[in-house]
Amino acid sequence: MTENTTATKRRPDGAALIVAAVLAALGLLLIREGFSIPDKAGYAGIGSGGMPKVIGFGMLILSAGHVLAAFRNAKTVAADDVKPQFGPVLWIMAGLLLQLLLLRHAGFAIASGLLFACTAAGFGKRNLALTLPIGIALALLIYGIFDQLLKLKLPAGVLEKLLFGG
Amino acid sequence: MTTFDFLMQGLVVAMSPMILMYALIGVTLGTAVGVLPGIGPALTVALLLPVTYGLDPAGSLIMFAGIYYGGMYGGSTTSILLNTPGESASIVTALEGNKMARAGRGGPALATAAIGSFVAGLIATLALAFLAPYVVKLALIFGPREYFALMMLAFVTVSAAFGDSAMKGLTSLFVGLALGLVGIDQLTGQTRLAFDVPELRDGIEITTLAVALFAIGEALFVASQGNVIADTIQAVKGSVWMTRADWARSWKPWLRGTVIGFPIGAMPAGGAEIGTFLSYAAEKRLSKHPEEFGHGAIEGVAGPEAANNASAAGTLVPLLTLGLPTSATAAILLAGFQQFGLQPGPLLFATSPQLVWGLIASLLVANIMLLVLNLPMIRLWVKLLMIPKPWLYAGILVFATLGTIGINPSPVELAMLLIFGVMGFLMRLYGYPIAPAVVGLILGPMAEQHLRRALAISQGDWTTLLASPISAVILLVATLALVVPMLMRMRGKGQLLSQMASDED
Amino acid sequence: MKHTLLSAAFAAALVTGFAAPALATDYMIMAPAAPGGGWDSTARSMQEVLQTEGISPSVQVQNVPGAGGTVGLAQFASTSAGDPSQLIVGGYVMVGAILNNDSPVSLADVTPIARLTGEAVAIAVSAASPIQNINELVDMMKADPGSVSWAGGSAGGVDHITVGLLAKAAGVDPTKINYVAFSGGGEALAAILGNQVTVGISGVGEFLPQVEAGTMRILAVSTADKWVGTDAPTLIESGYDVNVQNWRMVAAAPGLSAEQKAAVSADIDKMVQSAGWKSMLETKGWADTYLAGADFDAQLAKDVESTTTILKEIGLVK
Repeated sequence: MTENTTATKRRPDGAALIVAAVLAALGLLLIREGFSIPDKAGYAGIGSGGMPKVIGFGMLILSAGHVLAAFRNAKTVAADDVKPQFGPVLWIMAGLLLQLLLLRHAGFAIASGLLFACTAAGFGKRNLALTLPIGIALALLIYGIFDQLLKLKLPAGVLEKLLFGG
Repeated sequence: MTTFDFLMQGLVVAMSPMILMYALIGVTLGTAVGVLPGIGPALTVALLLPVTYGLDPAGSLIMFAGIYYGGMYGGSTTSILLNTPGESASIVTALEGNKMARAGRGGPALATAAIGSFVAGLIATLALAFLAPYVVKLALIFGPREYFALMMLAFVTVSAAFGDSAMKGLTSLFVGLALGLVGIDQLTGQTRLAFDVPELRDGIEITTLAVALFAIGEALFVASQGNVIADTIQAVKGSVWMTRADWARSWKPWLRGTVIGFPIGAMPAGGAEIGTFLSYAAEKRLSKHPEEFGHGAIEGVAGPEAANNASAAGTLVPLLTLGLPTSATAAILLAGFQQFGLQPGPLLFATSPQLVWGLIASLLVANIMLLVLNLPMIRLWVKLLMIPKPWLYAGILVFATLGTIGINPSPVELAMLLIFGVMGFLMRLYGYPIAPAVVGLILGPMAEQHLRRALAISQGDWTTLLASPISAVILLVATLALVVPMLMRMRGKGQLLSQMASDED
Repeated sequence: MKHTLLSAAFAAALVTGFAAPALATDYMIMAPAAPGGGWDSTARSMQEVLQTEGISPSVQVQNVPGAGGTVGLAQFASTSAGDPSQLIVGGYVMVGAILNNDSPVSLADVTPIARLTGEAVAIAVSAASPIQNINELVDMMKADPGSVSWAGGSAGGVDHITVGLLAKAAGVDPTKINYVAFSGGGEALAAILGNQVTVGISGVGEFLPQVEAGTMRILAVSTADKWVGTDAPTLIESGYDVNVQNWRMVAAAPGLSAEQKAAVSADIDKMVQSAGWKSMLETKGWADTYLAGADFDAQLAKDVESTTTILKEIGLVK
């Protein structure tokens, strides 16, 4: 989806067309789901499949609306004038992904410390030797307060067991 | 003894120094946990209930009330300062509150939230004490068709939060509605759109979507803008305290929010979010500064925050008068009551008046304590925004994921945070409003279930929706709210087109 | 690149440094239902007794509502494996719901510990209803089954099954009943009290406080014998051959070692034998039907088999 950020005002609005395609796909998926669910409507007359069909149909209409708007040359969906940078976005996404992957095994402090460091990197602080320890320290502090004092269950790993005795 | 005597007696007990001390501890602990995104008052109370064990009944009752109110207030703080709603009832608060905070008006936003919560809590608690038996009769009149009508009204009026482009607002709403379909259908037990992922059978958590769209989407968006919008965040501009104008613009929304929130909270299937939506819509309609909505209108914080607190007190109405726990929070409260030897049920007011009035007095005292504690803290809270961006957003993301991890550290749940976060980023980038998606996820499943229940009861006869006077009136109001602005727009079409041309924020 | 190295290093440290967790005595009990229903109050009663009797220092209850508990069960089975501190409350309703939903997760995917209580299912109307007894209700069903709307718990649950059995026993086509599923006991009760539906069906304990307050009337109970606390007739006495008891149980996480299972069983046994639990059962009006070990496993297998037959007969499961 990223290549459409430079949608111009003269040609059909590419971003709007992409949104239209996504909406149409989603709408068709919902309608298909609506028809594939065995009907147990009972006395209500509307079963589990009813709403997916209605919402899917609504999405198809919205999809058509986006197509129309795209060819009307209106500045429908185009991004702000600022050209977005995707490097920082990738840093943060990587941080979230690392947290997701490491949480169970490495524990809350390390996983969240990595998220902290990656996010800081996304905002320009690339010195991981500085940000990672700060992040881990902050996460350990949070762990101490919330898990130990306030009984919110957080996944413990090596560091937590070392410091708080698991 | 009369109602009034019981209340006074309870207040006297609650005013002793030791009891006030417990109230203070309760409020502080409650705020500390409630501040976590995704952890609402119900979970806060559940987590901290053991802390109250071992105190004498009066002490544990008051600490319990303090935790409850603290948990509720904590949610709005993060909404306003960090654009990270702590729970579904403070999503609306984030809309205007965070815009205010970004414009250096975080102080007044927090203050109007705190005072509004206090005013609403005070009035609603008194209403609970004196009006509960009457309110509950009204609440029971609401059946599936009336709830469905109420949902329709909420759908229509909440479109006030859709921003300027109807098409983009509707698109966002439908994405939310589609997400609301995921999981097991309560009425038939059939699974929809779960793609054989067991975690998806639970459906999509409202708080997960809200935290992802608001907090994570926002962080990604700000990061993508480089240094361009660095200067638009100002921690403090003007007074930290509310100005005369702020007061003048806040007091009516507080009262209106209370009036909207209390009865909706009292309805067995109402839900606190609905009250905040309706309050927001009402304030936008009634405001003298409608153009400020979406850019930090104080009414948009004052009203919904009051509605949220009033509906929390409203939840106690069916609980204390009928013994019906109608929300997660009420169920947790029930557990708390049982700890005090109180068996909620239809005869509660008659059989254990001391405890009931003790509880109500405790709620009043905790409410005051919260205000006393939090007003001076505002100065400190707004300083949070002066933290340099890399550290601030790194901290926000750690906190935003903390709530989810604390509740359910499953990779699927965290993956949803990531995916919806990216979705929130793209929506922001292309100017799609965020709030309607969350609204769709909250209201969609409720509206669907109530409609199907109403139709089952009437054996498929759609006129049942109009056969009850209440639902007919609500549906009529909803229709008017939809049609009248359309007609007015058609008359001023030129104006509308020029508005559409400049529909970026 | 730095990160992959780092994470690899951490992972390595983890494998070598991982110590077996100490046996936790803090419990997390999942109530796979919305607040206010029977499982919820079972979980909360356990919470209270386990704590006040000093069996566990801290017990938390988590509500995961939906579809007869299968939502909660699936989540429980997938997130708690091997964790002896996790418990789930369940019951007869779940047996039916697993079949009805064609659930990928069944009771074989958790470690059933013990049956705790049993309760009659009661059929009740609000005090304002013109229906005075069960025979009048059945006559209405015979005349027009759709006109009698039933408010009860999840689709395919014990309430639903009981309505189906009653219809069958009375000679009404069980597939024609107008059953309206509500997601929690509180919501269904409100619908009955507000006269939104013709009749309600739920655990007798949920109706008793209302009966005491004079806001509801119980028409019949589903057990073989009369239920303590109400003089309502049984369905059998009224001439309908229906005998259903809604039992509730507690199960532990899948993948426990024999010692871990024994430790949980011992804690539950201590709880059931305690004075606190006895008085709790009394206040709630629950019958003590405690059954553990191999006896319980055998009983459970029997129930699963008979429920499958019943659900197929009344057309809920193909």
